[in-house]
Amino acid sequence: MNQFVNLIILVTRPEHDAGTRYLSCWMKEIISEANKKGIQVIDLHKEKASRKNFESRMDKLSPDLILLNGHGSAYEMTGHNNEVLICHEDNHFLLKKKITYAIACDCAKILGKGVADKETVFIGYKDKFVINLNRSFLSKPAEDKRAKRFLDPSNEVGMALLKGHTASEASSKSKEAFRKQIISLLSSTSSDPDITEDIKILFWNMTNQVCLGNGELKLC
Amino acid sequence: MTESEDKSNNPATDEEIRNLVLSRLSTLSFDTMKSIGDMGTFGRDELIAHVKANDEIGRVVQDIEMEWLKAIKEGIVSSLYEPVC
Repeated sequence: MNQFVNLIILVTRPEHDAGTRYLSCWMKEIISEANKKGIQVIDLHKEKASRKNFESRMDKLSPDLILLNGHGSAYEMTGHNNEVLICHEDNHFLLKKKITYAIACDCAKILGKGVADKETVFIGYKDKFVINLNRSFLSKPAEDKRAKRFLDPSNEVGMALLKGHTASEASSKSKEAFRKQIISLLSSTSSDPDITEDIKILFWNMTNQVCLGNGELKLC
Repeated sequence: MTESEDKSNNPATDEEIRNLVLSRLSTLSFDTMKSIGDMGTFGRDELIAHVKANDEIGRVVQDIEMEWLKAIKEGIVSSLYEPVC
């Protein structure tokens, strides 16, 4: 029997600037993987990534995993056009008893800490989430090999969770993917300044990713 | 930590750090763009302008540089060759 069949994933994918377009594009890989496993995916894409939709889907469907893509601050996570979807001490309780991965700046600082407990896990970043891009691919993010260096390791959290790993393992696997990417760039013989810059950003994202709450939680 | 202890651990002045960051940024390719959350996506010359202005965006770029320099000083490169899990 398919162990994933009754699971529900909610994904927010705003697309109102370059950063959100890249995150949204990369999230397709996880959505596709979830679909292959027969998992129901609620995809709040573009304008659908609104507070009204988010709250109503969370309330009615109670998804098992929430993948938040967008902009954040210590207290908030936003959706399309930076509309606030979740705010600490306002509606943050919606993330209780869930597994959440927020690909956004600063969210783990207060929002993540506020929801984390023995029945909840929040994976996110405690400082800015930064990606280096290639200007030539702004309109076709999927082809941007430079952005791939940053977004593949980040996606590893979702991919590992879909394989049945615990949240803590998923975060470790993501950090391992960041580390491997750094090693690969350090080992390159190129003295390209862009590579040195990418190493710094990979290291920054790797060290700022945290897994808060019960890291033993998993999808099935 | 007292101000003097802090100074001895990190003897570089803000101005020196800013100059180092500016010199590194100036070597980046024209194609490089950096997406920093809702602060926006910036090209090389825009990043240089923000660092020169010492504004919030410029300070994020400086923080990233400082974290890396601190990590190198602490021997991070050799530890990166050991798997995380």
